[in-house]
Amino acid sequence: MGATQTTPVREASRSGLQDVLARVPRWAWWTISIAIAAGFPLLNLAGVVETAWLRVGVVSLIFVLLSLGLNIVMGETGLLNLGYIAFFAFGSYTTALLSSPKFEIRWPFLAVVVVSTLVAMVAGFLISLPTLRLRGDYLAIVTLAFGEIVRLTIINLVPLTNGPNGVTGIYSPRLFADAKPALEGVQAWFIIDKPIEYYYLVLVCVIVLAVLLTNLKNSRVGRAWNALREDELAAISSGITAVRAKMLSVVLSAGIAGFAGALFAYYSNVISPESFLFMQSVIVVCMVVLGGMGSIPGVILGAIVLQALPQLIREAAGAARSDFEVYRMLIYGILIVVMVIFRPEGLLPDKIFRREAHEVDPRELEMTRQSLFDLEEGQKDLEV
Amino acid sequence: MVQERIRKALALMLAAALALSMFGLTGCAADDGGETDGETTDGETTGGEVQTIKIGVQTALTGPLPDYGLAAKNGVELALEDFGTFEMDGTTYEVELVVLDDKAEPTESAVVAQTMADEGVVGVIGSLTTGATLSAIPIYFENRIPQISGSVTGPKANETGADTFFRTCWNDAVQGEALGVWAMELGAKKVVLMDDNGAYAVGLADVAEATLKAEGVETLRQNCQSGDKDLSAQVANIKEFGPDAVIFTGYHPEAGLLRKQMVEAGMADVIFMGGDGIRSAELVAQTGGEANAEGIYATFGGFPEEQQPGYAAFAAKYQEKYGEEVGPYAQNNYDAFGALIEAIKQAGSTDTEDIIAALQDLTYEGVTGTFGFATEAAGAVAKGDIVVEGLTPANVPRYVVKDGVWVSAE
Repeated sequence: MGATQTTPVREASRSGLQDVLARVPRWAWWTISIAIAAGFPLLNLAGVVETAWLRVGVVSLIFVLLSLGLNIVMGETGLLNLGYIAFFAFGSYTTALLSSPKFEIRWPFLAVVVVSTLVAMVAGFLISLPTLRLRGDYLAIVTLAFGEIVRLTIINLVPLTNGPNGVTGIYSPRLFADAKPALEGVQAWFIIDKPIEYYYLVLVCVIVLAVLLTNLKNSRVGRAWNALREDELAAISSGITAVRAKMLSVVLSAGIAGFAGALFAYYSNVISPESFLFMQSVIVVCMVVLGGMGSIPGVILGAIVLQALPQLIREAAGAARSDFEVYRMLIYGILIVVMVIFRPEGLLPDKIFRREAHEVDPRELEMTRQSLFDLEEGQKDLEV
Repeated sequence: MVQERIRKALALMLAAALALSMFGLTGCAADDGGETDGETTDGETTGGEVQTIKIGVQTALTGPLPDYGLAAKNGVELALEDFGTFEMDGTTYEVELVVLDDKAEPTESAVVAQTMADEGVVGVIGSLTTGATLSAIPIYFENRIPQISGSVTGPKANETGADTFFRTCWNDAVQGEALGVWAMELGAKKVVLMDDNGAYAVGLADVAEATLKAEGVETLRQNCQSGDKDLSAQVANIKEFGPDAVIFTGYHPEAGLLRKQMVEAGMADVIFMGGDGIRSAELVAQTGGEANAEGIYATFGGFPEEQQPGYAAFAAKYQEKYGEEVGPYAQNNYDAFGALIEAIKQAGSTDTEDIIAALQDLTYEGVTGTFGFATEAAGAVAKGDIVVEGLTPANVPRYVVKDGVWVSAE
């Protein structure tokens, strides 16, 4: 297919809409998205949307953090990590131990989050030492094994983790003072306790992280990552220190997962090994791939769509009042397969990945040419 | 061009799915509206009025344990037929089940619990697994919804002591205490505790060890892996320690092997005991013969099926309706539903606070025995645990192998 086969009329109408969408500046997209995200809980307060959706929202946003983190290694640097959930587990368990009745420790929220992030970063540093020599499939296998080792260690390290029983009664976050015990029912404005409060807490984290990562992507470091992904040899010969750049990427993404893990532990009140299965790593990979590797808005959308889809199907089944609900994971799987077939580059793809997945649309080529390259050189480059 | 067409069809499909789900959202919102209407008319009791109440079933129909999940759902549905319609203050109440699947996964479980609260259920049967229950308990607690599980046996399920959590199956810890007490009754001064590293066995051994240590009994802890084919290292350790009794809290294959290797190592005189995991007819063969198995002791959590007063009738009904053997914990879930309905009747109200209070004072004649719920944690018994009439933790059913068969040790 392609633009040449379509009739002029249709092309005109299509390009009309696309042009209008393309002309909307990026800051406007961000503003609209943030407004929708921030306004969503108000629908719950107004009674239009059920509270379960707020919980889906919180978990979705936590997975947005995770996907943004994985996107650094997978999308930007091109290192496939199939054990990413292990860093999430490091963050979760650190938080669970520093703010629960397990050892009767009640650190304040900010300290716990910082330590959880650091613990995950150290884990990321250590795992990066032996693995950075590996590439492609081999790296995937090693990271997969790493994820499983961490999970099995958690199950068997009973004195620290309670093994399969998990750590229960994690205190709700208090921003500065000591954490309060769970199930006490004390209310104060600075205690984060209800789904809606968690929602805004995580939303702020997502927005800050998205801004930071967007800047990072366009910085020297981000371009070094992209160069390594596209051609490691060429990148090294252009003066990029491959090991340092890759290590930074792995450590940073591990830190983000640890941070997300801390929020997750606080939000869920209990942490048990069932939350850190291999399947969860796969889901995060799916979020990045289906959202659009290397594209920050894409990854955010991918995480929200994949996390909210099962509940959406559940609600649809609820309307029909049938046993249809049980099939939601099946439909979820089918939709993922369909998306991979018809939109391999993701929902909101990165420019580079879109070019790889499809033939280039001449109009887009034109736009890219005008914005990125010198007229003559660019056209030659892209038409190859 | 073909691809274009498929794409169009796909777009239509997705649009339809989206439209359907939006319908779902509005549909649910409308339901809520209808419900509050119902509650307002509830005050003026006119004769013969029919009132619908919702009871949630949080189970795991997908995920790692679908057979357990289905058995739980079947148990509740059977109970719905028997107790689902009842009269109270001249009003006929009809129960509508809200069955939701949590995949036995904690994160999903929290969403399911919240959905139950949003749906306005008066009580919930579930969830299925300890892991999923952990994250559901705080949400049911906050929303003041009574929750009765028929299959969560983990001792630490209700560590936070929520007053909304009840269970109609036995807490694993109870057998741990029973084993410790029994070993001391048999005069043991040095005891080896061995588990198979699984959550169930470790929990049992922990409680048994604590019970023994509290009375000054010397203990040694050993463990193996489920599926081990050689336990000679552990047997050597046991021999060196020289115990009066060995308590194995795992399952019969490893228990049989352990007993066999102990006999071979000349420790046939050492008392050998275990929980309901070893109380299987297969154990005798696994020890290498009747002579080896003679005198092995086992406890059981609650009455075993053949001693449960309503089991035969329940099994017949279950068989008739589903055409298969009774699934795991189906009768406990049946009892959970029955107890909830009984509590509603005794409370004379569908207000959840009243139902929680009624559940705490309840005495209910169920399939598995006449039982109530513990109001406070005491020893191995946790808050909300089933308390069966005629059975205490120190007095659970005891069995012994005599001439190759399990018989009561009383």
